[in-house]
Amino acid sequence: MSQGTSQPAKSDKSERLLQLTCALLFAERGLTKAELFRSIPGYIDAVNSGTAEDALNRMFERDKTGLRETGIQVYTPNPSAEAEEICYIIADDTFTWPRQLELTAKQLQLLTLAAQVWSQASLEADASQALVRLKALGIEQAADDLIGVAPRIRTHEPCFSPLTSAIQDLTQVTFNYRKSNGEVTKREVQPWSLQNVDGQWLLQCWDVNQKDVRNFVLKRIVSKVQIVRNGDLEVNFEAPTDQQLAEANKSLAEHIANQVCELNVLKDTGAWFHFHLDDSASDGHISFNYMDLELLAEELRDFGAEVKVIRPKELADAVRAGFQKVASDHA
Amino acid sequence: MPKLNNFNGEDRYNFMLSLVAFLQNRGPVSVEEAASHFELDAKYLRKVVTSINEARAEVSGFEQWFFMIDLDELEENGILSLIDNLVVDDVPKLSNRQASAIAAGLNYLASLPAFKDDEDIKLLQEAFASNVIRGINPLIELRPGSAEAGAETIRKAILGEKQIQCEYINQKGERATRTLEPLRLDARADGWYLRAFCPIHKEVRNFKLDRMRSISVLDETLSLAARGVSEIEDAVYVASSTDTKVLVEVEPEAYRLISEFKNVSEPTNVENGRLRAEIKVGHLPNIGRLVARYGGAAKVIAPAEAKKIVKKYALAALGESTPDPVEDED
Repeated sequence: MSQGTSQPAKSDKSERLLQLTCALLFAERGLTKAELFRSIPGYIDAVNSGTAEDALNRMFERDKTGLRETGIQVYTPNPSAEAEEICYIIADDTFTWPRQLELTAKQLQLLTLAAQVWSQASLEADASQALVRLKALGIEQAADDLIGVAPRIRTHEPCFSPLTSAIQDLTQVTFNYRKSNGEVTKREVQPWSLQNVDGQWLLQCWDVNQKDVRNFVLKRIVSKVQIVRNGDLEVNFEAPTDQQLAEANKSLAEHIANQVCELNVLKDTGAWFHFHLDDSASDGHISFNYMDLELLAEELRDFGAEVKVIRPKELADAVRAGFQKVASDHA
Repeated sequence: MPKLNNFNGEDRYNFMLSLVAFLQNRGPVSVEEAASHFELDAKYLRKVVTSINEARAEVSGFEQWFFMIDLDELEENGILSLIDNLVVDDVPKLSNRQASAIAAGLNYLASLPAFKDDEDIKLLQEAFASNVIRGINPLIELRPGSAEAGAETIRKAILGEKQIQCEYINQKGERATRTLEPLRLDARADGWYLRAFCPIHKEVRNFKLDRMRSISVLDETLSLAARGVSEIEDAVYVASSTDTKVLVEVEPEAYRLISEFKNVSEPTNVENGRLRAEIKVGHLPNIGRLVARYGGAAKVIAPAEAKKIVKKYALAALGESTPDPVEDED
């Protein structure tokens, strides 16, 4: 609570990042690291309190990464110069918005909603920072709720965030993947995109060893996602072309079109309501396409005995085997 | 949306740059107005102003101050007025990750019936598609039961502040006609949920839309009690004092079980990505269904009573016993 100013506070990261940004913007031709260390209070304080040079350099590297992650493009115009000559500049277009972006109150409310889709999910921090910037454009937010719905995306998978970064940075990654039969293999992939099919996140990627496009279910990734390195350098890859992405989507759609199940739903149950069965229907026979047998089995287990699988037999077996495992696990 | 307790160094830095740009664009504005515009606490804004005014660097031997927000104006009249600004002309544009997060959110909105033909959404999608790389794609829904027709009716009732009537089936298979006062509609990847004030229980409860049918909007507007509800929790399962603590162990395939509940404590790592966590369950008999769906990837460790329920539930699903009666989940 005290407002005491005699004791210099431990360097506040947000204040140091602001000082660094302003100093770089102010010195239009850029500043060297030594100049920055002499001019930014946050670094001066660190030096005065006995921070070693190594630690100071690491702090500077972290700060640069911090700026880049929020989209402030720090670059070096003379990367091949002598180490002490290398200077740092903030790219000209860092603060330039597309001209056509003049938002109405309703549009801002929609963007707010689009950002809130990520509350408590992996991209929450990015989305909420984006929203702060959009609001800073100065548009008045509409006073009333014009929408009445709070859509939320959930990401329960710890690998979601590192995969998003790898997709953006075009870095090759490895992870251990557990197939639905329990077999674990190490995969090396070039991640292309994440998509959500019926509530399940999938990674669409190029499998380096299989030399083919593969879809991996995120929740079956059972290790940390690791960036592939060659010595110190991250291994990068070329962004997939629109055609490659379209073909990958087409082959997933074909895969889904080939998998059909038939179920019998018990009348007057939650499942009867869930599948929108009409009270006039004589029986609860339904049929639809699915992507993954084990994932569907998991959903069907939610309905317990309210649903009977007619075909495929593998699906009926999977549902049953799951219940048997649960029963024996809890004996 | 930004919650202060989640604000880290980068978030605070982002807000400082944004506030300077906002004041530059907007001109003098009261602290209260700025605070409500950014949905932040006015006290927090005042602290940030101090940090902004402190921003300086030594340039060629001179101390250079970059901004000045008028402190007299702030103290005396509660007005934020930027009188000096040497460096920041505008808000920094969005990073790729930020733009991708918004674009994916827009794509998700566009997939909901409420926004199917919304011109503004289309416009925004185009604006954000141009400088965004591929990454996160809209949701694809195959399964019947995922897109709920009733959602649009309920959304209209919420906007018109009207009560609704519907047929509801509970977990015992009992159908009843219910009157509900709808407050918020949550679209989630695993289905739609309605947060509604229940006149029978006199509190906000959670209703899964796939257990509702024949939804109609009534003429009655919301009751005073329903209007008095100030905040609605975001978690699907809201904890209460009658909850039972259940210790579970989950494989990565069943992480959802612990991330959707309020954990009593941080999950601990057992081995190879297998986690243990204590979750709070409102109606213990529901634990059977919650755990059994994962077909072995989730396991109850304690209490023994919960283990017994799970076992009985699985056996009943196999047709080898009769299940325990379950209480209604809403």
